[in-house]
Amino acid sequence: MNFDLGVFTPGNLRFLFDGFVITLRLAALGIFFSFWLGTAAAFARLSKRPWIHYPAVVYIEAIRGVPLIMVILWFYFFTPVFTGMPLENFTSALMAFVIFYSAYLAEDIRAGIQSVPVGQIQAAYSTGLSTFQTMRYIVLPQALRNTVPALVTRFIILFKDTSLAYVIGVRELTHSAYIISQREFRPFELYTLLALIYWVCTFSMSRLARSLERCLAPDRRVALKP
Amino acid sequence: MFERVLAYDFRWSILWEPPYADMLLDGIRMTLVVSPIAWGLACMLGVAVAVCRTAPWRLPRALGTAYVEFFRNTPLLVQLFFWYFGVPQLLPPTAQNWLNSVNVPLLGLTLNVEVWTLIVGLAIYTASRVAETLRAGIQSLPRQQTEAGLSTGLSRLQLYRYVILPQAVRLMLPSLTTEFLTTYKNSSLGITIGVAEMTFATRQIDAYTFKGLEAATAVTVLYLAISLTIAGIMAIVERATAIPGMIARRSGGMP
Amino acid sequence: MLSRVLLLMAVMSVTLGGMANAAEGTLDKITRGGKMVMGARSGSVPFGFIDKDNKWVGFSIDLCTEIKNKLESKLGKKIELELKEVTPSNRIPLVANGTIDIECGSTTYTRARDETVDFSLNVFFTGSQLLVKQGSGIKSTADLAGKRVGATQGTTNEKAIREVAPKATVVVFQDHPSGFLALEQGKIDAYTTDGIILAGLRAKSPNAANYEVVGDFYTNEPYSFILRENDSKWRDFVNHALMEMLEDGTYFTIYDKWFGAEGVVPYPMPAAVRTYLTMQVMPK
Repeated sequence: MNFDLGVFTPGNLRFLFDGFVITLRLAALGIFFSFWLGTAAAFARLSKRPWIHYPAVVYIEAIRGVPLIMVILWFYFFTPVFTGMPLENFTSALMAFVIFYSAYLAEDIRAGIQSVPVGQIQAAYSTGLSTFQTMRYIVLPQALRNTVPALVTRFIILFKDTSLAYVIGVRELTHSAYIISQREFRPFELYTLLALIYWVCTFSMSRLARSLERCLAPDRRVALKP
Repeated sequence: MFERVLAYDFRWSILWEPPYADMLLDGIRMTLVVSPIAWGLACMLGVAVAVCRTAPWRLPRALGTAYVEFFRNTPLLVQLFFWYFGVPQLLPPTAQNWLNSVNVPLLGLTLNVEVWTLIVGLAIYTASRVAETLRAGIQSLPRQQTEAGLSTGLSRLQLYRYVILPQAVRLMLPSLTTEFLTTYKNSSLGITIGVAEMTFATRQIDAYTFKGLEAATAVTVLYLAISLTIAGIMAIVERATAIPGMIARRSGGMP
Repeated sequence: MLSRVLLLMAVMSVTLGGMANAAEGTLDKITRGGKMVMGARSGSVPFGFIDKDNKWVGFSIDLCTEIKNKLESKLGKKIELELKEVTPSNRIPLVANGTIDIECGSTTYTRARDETVDFSLNVFFTGSQLLVKQGSGIKSTADLAGKRVGATQGTTNEKAIREVAPKATVVVFQDHPSGFLALEQGKIDAYTTDGIILAGLRAKSPNAANYEVVGDFYTNEPYSFILRENDSKWRDFVNHALMEMLEDGTYFTIYDKWFGAEGVVPYPMPAAVRTYLTMQVMPK
């Protein structure tokens, strides 16, 4: 077999583009929702109240111990058994990503929160700020600034993992390329293009993140963590 | 909601009935064989790439950076498809035939081309992450270590082997543990290229008995149990190999 | 504060419990929502597949669209048809859990499956065969000893090939196009699924002359559409719609489109099959 770029007809490229749009939607919504749930889970884990702390610990540790594919399969096949409400495959994939990545983000954000010097919190309490106000105005801004490299890394991983939605039939970029490649017998061309598209996207995301970092923490030379 | 759970006809016995219990056990065995082998290869390759990236010469640095940038930024699924379907398209028929006939028996399993592709694909992907982790570790060591080592007459290679890497690896052990756990979880992608590991066993039992919920529960519990065991063992290893005075606080925030 | 939380939890569980209890029939659900969700295949040629123009077409898809049209005329309102992709390994769970209302692909009606889901009338008859490269020397399942044979997870063929050729190594893929590509690349010596799908895959491939479909049917595969268990109203509707199509000839027109002389896979209907299909039409 040889190399043939003729497989990239306008029709096929259009099909790939439609898949790419779905990937972007999945990634954007996933990033947005998992950020909030992750922050909530981070605070829950740091809470002193046992009925908030222990469920958070169980959630985070349980999710971090299983592969993303299993979480996706649970949401698509088994939650409808319990809730009686079937889920669309895009929605299942999205919920699976949010639940999965929130657990990891919770750990990243928790590390960021814990890296804020304790003195800050003590000073805040001593000036009369409530717990919530301390978190909102003192701790979180600093914590997030520290965590930006880790957050961006996590979001980039989420973007790449949207490719796993293929196992439940979401017609995103990887699945679209897969359909064309298996039909036309041109896997090398298709998967190389696929890899390049992902590479361009993640590269832009990390460049964007680096400028975001420079903007937020101009006084610190923080290297983008792996 | 609870009536629905009770209305579902649970049949936990499929987990230990003969054909299904074997499927489950084969899946577990496959996961537990693929992950360490892939991890071992990844470590070797990762060390080599990390050394390249921190070398003082331009060419190895460029090659190392290109490797990491490419394999770290593309999804593992795409890489697996690329190695399994894409690359053979370019190989001449004799090479293809040789690849397809690979058949290594190991611990009661036969490692055929699907399994090897998974192992190699996982290793190449993970090596890029291991290389980054080690690079961060190497670069966080004080410059004096390198200078002292070179001034006592060690060659570059010896410097890495006896001074830099032992410290860097111990320093980054928590992150490396996370990478191993990630590799072990990523082995579940084998289902897409025909490797019969644990996730595959769930789907297979579901296909044969339509009692997928029991199988999925069992496999989820197993994944968790193995993860926790590995994490526990590595925690002991970390404590045993920690360098006093140089321990990085276990940051839960490392990916 | 604690009591408020407990009250909220109590209210939620009652609501969720109440929601789950409203198990309505599929027909009512479609009437209410105005949408019929069809599960279709993307790699099963020519029952449900993505053609060269990247359109989702197929014999089963056409039959189901006709069923939707009949539903529209019966209910007197517009019904939206939504296609969802299914694979052999998830088609039955998805009907069982309510995600799709009807699966229109190439599913074999088996008694074991009938215990979890229900089936419509038969719409096609075929059997399991092997797809091999020209000149491979494999002529039947007996020649598979020591060879690698591919199958798709969740199909009747995957189960059957293990029994019929115990000395062969079975490599399990997630759908037919992967298996076919693996055959093309020599990773497997033969790929097994239903004969008509093998003929379809071959017809649609870039180099059809390199392959041949060999072997007698080593299993019988009568196709039906998958429906939810214990949902008589919906099942009756689907069956009566199919009977109408057989009566007025719509079924045979659609059959000719895909399996006629100009079709994707020329496959003249055996007389016995035609008799059986028409005898399935019950009097009004």
